[in-house]
Amino acid sequence: MSGFATGTAAAEGLACCHVCLKVAPDALHECPRCGAALHVRKPDSLQRTVALVATAVLLYIPANVLPIMTTTQLGKATHSTIIGGVVLLVHHGDYPIAAVIFIASVMVPISKLVALSWLCWSVSRRHPTSYHERARLYRATELVGKWSMTDVFVVAILVALIHLGGLLLITPGPAAIAFGGVVVVTMIAAHSFDPRLIWDQLGDADG
Amino acid sequence: MNAPAEERTACVECDLLVQIGELQGGERAACPRCGHVLTAPKADGLTRTLAYALAACVLLALANAFPFIELKAKGLEQVMTLPRTAVELYRDGYATLAVLVLGPIVAIPALMLATLVALLVPLRHGRKAGWLVPAGRFLFVLGPWSMVEVFVIGVLVSLVKIGAMASVVMGISFWAYVGFAFCFTAALSSLDQLELWREIEACTP
Repeated sequence: MSGFATGTAAAEGLACCHVCLKVAPDALHECPRCGAALHVRKPDSLQRTVALVATAVLLYIPANVLPIMTTTQLGKATHSTIIGGVVLLVHHGDYPIAAVIFIASVMVPISKLVALSWLCWSVSRRHPTSYHERARLYRATELVGKWSMTDVFVVAILVALIHLGGLLLITPGPAAIAFGGVVVVTMIAAHSFDPRLIWDQLGDADG
Repeated sequence: MNAPAEERTACVECDLLVQIGELQGGERAACPRCGHVLTAPKADGLTRTLAYALAACVLLALANAFPFIELKAKGLEQVMTLPRTAVELYRDGYATLAVLVLGPIVAIPALMLATLVALLVPLRHGRKAGWLVPAGRFLFVLGPWSMVEVFVIGVLVSLVKIGAMASVVMGISFWAYVGFAFCFTAALSSLDQLELWREIEACTP
């Protein structure tokens, strides 16, 4: 069992069930309490996380280039992108709302993608960064993930509410789906990353 | 229920094996190495969760039945209800978006509430039931995908955006949904994963 730090479940050939938290011998392959598959570490954690991060980066392009919604006022259609919406809110002087949308739709997804890439890179290179800092970074990444959905919900509400015939009509744009995709894919990416890999570096010293 | 003395748990974030002693209600145990909270059982946690879950069920039903927001502009009126949000998106040809919206704000929380009730009613009476293990697994699969708090913020942002064009009135559903979001979040935060599974194990035939 070399490679795993002493005191960890892995070093004793034990695995912690990710569903019910039962600690059981890894050799069982299946949790004796809830029946979920047992793994010492999440399988192919880094490869999966990197693949999902790449997918999210690709989806983030159409999410920003294409319109997230279209406003038709008296027959005249105006397309707006995510950034366009933020700029418009700033022009109207709605700074707090502009900040909410900017944080939820731009800052959170980008920092999540950067954080996950950095975590994967630092783990694979065994970079000597503080374990506690990386653990905190991972926790923050998991916590903020779903807040990016705010803008998608806003579009949905505006579409449902503003259907005033030819006078004023709001319809969703393709960027809404792409952006929803970014949120879902980054959430799965954060979930596939195994934070225990950060701490496994401690085992290097034990050899 | 008390953990058997020899049972150890492993920190899900750093894999350190930890022996958790007996905790009083309201106390929490954190991993000595990485600080992750391992367990934080509340006094009467299961009863509390069930109470909040039942309240959330009623409020969610109300939130779906009444107008959510009413809008008045230039002599025209428009009423939005929660189910209509998805219907409008679907009509505009955005079925994926309809699922992406109604799933995390209504469908998934509703499934989670039903699962919670099915779990907690037998557990509280210490009755054995065959569905407890699959129900427990289902609950933790759905968990990350409910976004009720995020939707409440989304509604507030939309109100400010619309406020510039028309006058809006909050309907009964809006208040019901805010109450539901509070009860739903309270129900889940009173539930301790470690404790719940220990109880499930004890009541599995």
